[in-house]
Order: sequence, then structure tokens, then C-alpha cells
Amino acid sequence: MSKVVRERSIMSSFDMNKKSVMFAYGIMLLALLALTVTLLYPFGMTLFGSFKTKEEIFVFPPSYFPHHFEWGNYALGFKYVNLTRAFMNTLLLYAGNAFFALLIPGLAAFSLSQMKVPYRKTATLFFMSTLMIPSATYLIPNFLNLKSLGMLNSYWAFWLPAGANAFNILLLKSFMDGINKELFEAARMDGASELRCFFKMAVPLSLPVYSTLLIFAFTATWNDWYWPSLVLSVKEKYPISSLVYYDIVTATMMTWNVKFSVLTAIMIPPLIFFIIFQKNIMHGLDLSGVKG
Amino acid sequence: MASQSTLARREEAGGRLSKAFKDYFWGVAFLVPALAVFGLFLWTPIVKGVVYSFYNIDFVNGNRFVGWTNYAEALASSDMGIAVRNTLLYMFLGVLMGFWVPSVVAIAISELRRFQGVMRLVVYLPNIVPAVALYAMWIWLYDPLGPLNQFLSWFGIDGVNWLTDKRWATFSIVLAETWQGFGATALIYLAGIVGIPKDLYEAAEIDGAGVFRRIRHITLPGIRHLYLLLFIMQLIATSQGFQTQVALTGGGPNNATLTYMYQIINQAFTFLNYGRASALGVMMFVALTLLSAVLYRLQGRSPQA
Repeated sequence: MSKVVRERSIMSSFDMNKKSVMFAYGIMLLALLALTVTLLYPFGMTLFGSFKTKEEIFVFPPSYFPHHFEWGNYALGFKYVNLTRAFMNTLLLYAGNAFFALLIPGLAAFSLSQMKVPYRKTATLFFMSTLMIPSATYLIPNFLNLKSLGMLNSYWAFWLPAGANAFNILLLKSFMDGINKELFEAARMDGASELRCFFKMAVPLSLPVYSTLLIFAFTATWNDWYWPSLVLSVKEKYPISSLVYYDIVTATMMTWNVKFSVLTAIMIPPLIFFIIFQKNIMHGLDLSGVKG
Repeated sequence: MASQSTLARREEAGGRLSKAFKDYFWGVAFLVPALAVFGLFLWTPIVKGVVYSFYNIDFVNGNRFVGWTNYAEALASSDMGIAVRNTLLYMFLGVLMGFWVPSVVAIAISELRRFQGVMRLVVYLPNIVPAVALYAMWIWLYDPLGPLNQFLSWFGIDGVNWLTDKRWATFSIVLAETWQGFGATALIYLAGIVGIPKDLYEAAEIDGAGVFRRIRHITLPGIRHLYLLLFIMQLIATSQGFQTQVALTGGGPNNATLTYMYQIINQAFTFLNYGRASALGVMMFVALTLLSAVLYRLQGRSPQA
């Protein structure tokens, strides 16, 4: 026996001696390999496609690797869309969304969890019952509501509603419920204000949840393309997803090698983000699994 | 004497009020922003949706009360039946093709001795990149002269018009969405599987249970609660699906992928019939509430907020 004792999973090392199990395990590994190929193939296709020449993209049957690297596609693609501006728009949207989606639910969660509040049950119901109402059912009145508030074509139409996030309240509250109440009692006794209790104690202690929610907010902002294109009426304000959808994905006159170059470019920032926050993202998924 | 006691009582009441004020002030102050945004951006649209469904919305001439007309017209329109049928087919295919995949993949990954971390990243990859990039990928993959038909031709199978053939369009959309979304769900199952105590397997093995019996009697019951929850979540999510349809097929060919939600969007933004769109939304809410009530009842648990 080796020094490191492996923790067993469903199978033990003992099972591996049986032929039938070995056979099934081998098939499983092959299936996973096939899965990996199908998952990675489209990404490779996009990346390599972005280097192909116009002639090569039309070859049938399609080839996978380019014969030589045509960097000009990128220069051409960037001419069609102002990616820099769209990128800045996305960052601006994200900053506001993250700010409101963390601050407003955070305050509410702290209040419901650690402070004296009248009608606590009613308030909780007021927030949580919105989780039971599918957002698609009030998409149109939501749009009309923003219109009557005069918020169309403004980022406030994203920022403020981002604060109305019951899921964030739920997650933050259940985390704050786990913090010992006496901690805050002691701080109050020593003359700390409630704001100080929140910003100096509750927020730092809930940092794992906050980082998870920051990541969720990022994916949501980066991915959302349909709603922004409804609410914003000028393309100069579009975030990256909406702009790329309308100017690249649905463009009919553009050849695919150029399309692929822009697509490759917009996949890189979230990939970098993901690589940096890998651990937190995986932790966040575990969190939502346990929550369920 | 009498007036004195009233005064005292009044003072006491005032004192109690100010004490309550002092006790509750910060707690309420912390709640106010949330109450405001929830009221303004969630509850107002929800209530307005019900109100609008009885009105003819006209931005120029003002709204006009029309009673149940919006509902009657929506139910009588020929699109309604098509949309409901398409949505049910889409939900059904989603369960048939997509529901079991994540848990099987999760069990397989949990058994990997090496590269488990890499595998987690790979299955999660489609969740990281923007959806619009994936739409473009699938449009290219589904091209009649594209890679997917090329792959089929290796096996001597004739190509399919994935997105422009009525019989295949919904299937193609579900396939693309399954590919795109199963990773995140698989990781949720994986978290559940990892949480199952290992001594259960040990004990079962000593009692002579083979690998498949261990999976059937320990692993699957261990993630049973996740199955139910994710089943409900998938049904609720797919019943509202329309974005992939917008991006890949535009509701076509010949309305074959016009889902219920897509119909709402069309009524609102193509026909500017906001009243009927709101009525459709209210009907959808009623249907989904009934659906989740039935599912929760089946689950034998009361709905939890």
C-alpha cells in the first residue's frame, strides 16, 4: 500500500480487478473523451476559423485547421463593430449592476437577519414571493413600466432593478444567519453604529457569498443580449453581447472567417475572468447545489 | 387629577412611540432601499401586467378598458394552439434529451481518478463564453454544408436541414441548448455526489453489492432531492424559452419554433398589442403556478419560498 491512502469513491481499487468492471470503466472513459471532443470542437472551430482566408472558409467539405494564418480578419472584424466602446459599456453596466445587486440586498439581508424590525415576516414574504413569479410573465409590463418611468435608453433601467434581487437576499440572509448574534451585540455595546456593524463586520464576514454573487452578476451582464437591445434604443449604448448579436451574428453580408475573429475576441475576456476566479466559481456552484 | 393621568398616559404613549422609533429606525432604514426597488421594479410591473391585460394600450390616444377581449382574442388566435404545442414539445424534448445527461456525466466525472479538475472546467466551458458567440457557432455547425452534416456523411447518412426543416428545428434547438447548459447542472449534481458518505459504499461492497447496484441504491437516492428540484427548475425555465429560438430560427420554419413566450414578444414588439401580450403573460403565470403546485404536491412537500 502506498503512503497516500486514496479516498474511495463509488468504486474501490478492489473493483478494478474484475474484468467486467474494467470494461465498463473503459467505455465510460471513452464516452467522457468523446464528450470532451464535442465540447471543445466548436471552440477550436471558431478559433481556427478566424485565421482562415475567405476562399478557405467556403471549401467543402470544411477543413478544421487553416493552411496559413490570416491575421487580417481581426483588423477587418474590428472595423465592423466598435468593440472598445461596447466593452466599456459592458463594464459600466456591470459596475452599476454589481453595486446595486450587492448593496441593496445586503442591507436588507442584514436587517432581516440581525436587527430589530417590525413585520419581519411580511417583509420577507414581500421579497421572497417574487422568486415564485417567473420573470417572463411580466416582461412586457416591466418594459412599459420602465418606459413610463422615463428610464428607457438609460443604464439606470438596469442598475436599479438589479437591486431587486430576491435570490441575493436569500443567499446573503442565510449566510448572515450563521454569524453569531452576540458579535454584533458586543459591537453595539461598544458604541458601533449599525452602518459600521454592516460595513466593517457583516460584509467582511460574508465575503465568500459576496464574491460568488459578484461572479454571477458578471456572467449575467456579459451574457444578456436580448433585454438590453429592447431597453436601449441606440447602438452606441449597447453592451458587447447585444452589439455582437446584431452586427455580427445576424449580419448576412459578412463572411464567416471575419465573424469568427470577432467571436474569438469576445470569448477571451470571460475566459480570463474565469481562469482568475475559477476557485470561487466552483465554490459558488457547490453553494447553489447545497442551497437547492 | 383625571386630566393629569391622561397627560401621563399620553406622555407614556409618546415615549413608547419614540422608543419603538429608536429601536426600529435603523432596521427599517436598511430595508427601505430594498422595499423601494422591489415595489417599483417588480411588484409594480406584476400588478400592472394584470391591469393592462384588461386594457387596450395606446400611447397616443390613452388606454381603454376592454374587459376580457384581450383574453378572448388571444385564445381564439390561430397562433395560440401552435405556440402551446411547440412549447410543450420543446419542454418534452428538453427533458427527454437533456434532463438525464448532467447526472450521468456527474457520476462519470466523480469516478475519474485523474483529470477530474480538468473535466469540471471542460464541461463548464460553454457557460463561460457569451451566449451570442454560441449561437453563431451553432448556426455554422447546423449549416446544410457545415461540419455536422459532414460528420453524418462519414457514416453514409444524408444531411439534414437542421434549422430550416420543420421536423428538425425544435430538436436542433434543444440539442444546442443541452450542449450549452448541461455543464452547470452536472457540477451541481457532482457537488451532491461528493457529499455522499463514502462508508456507505464501503459497507455495500462488503455486503457484496456490485458497482451498478451501488450506483442504483446509494448514489441515485443520495441525489434524489436534486433530481426533483432540477426537474422543476428545468420545466419552468424551458416553458419560458424564446431567446435561442429568436437567435437560431426566428420562430420559423413556418412557425415550427414559435414558443408561447416568443408569441408574447411578437404581440408586444411586432404588433404593438401590449394588452394582449400582458394577457398572455397572466395566463402563463396561472399555468406555471398550477404546474409548480402540482409538482410540489407530487414531491410531497409544501412550497418553500
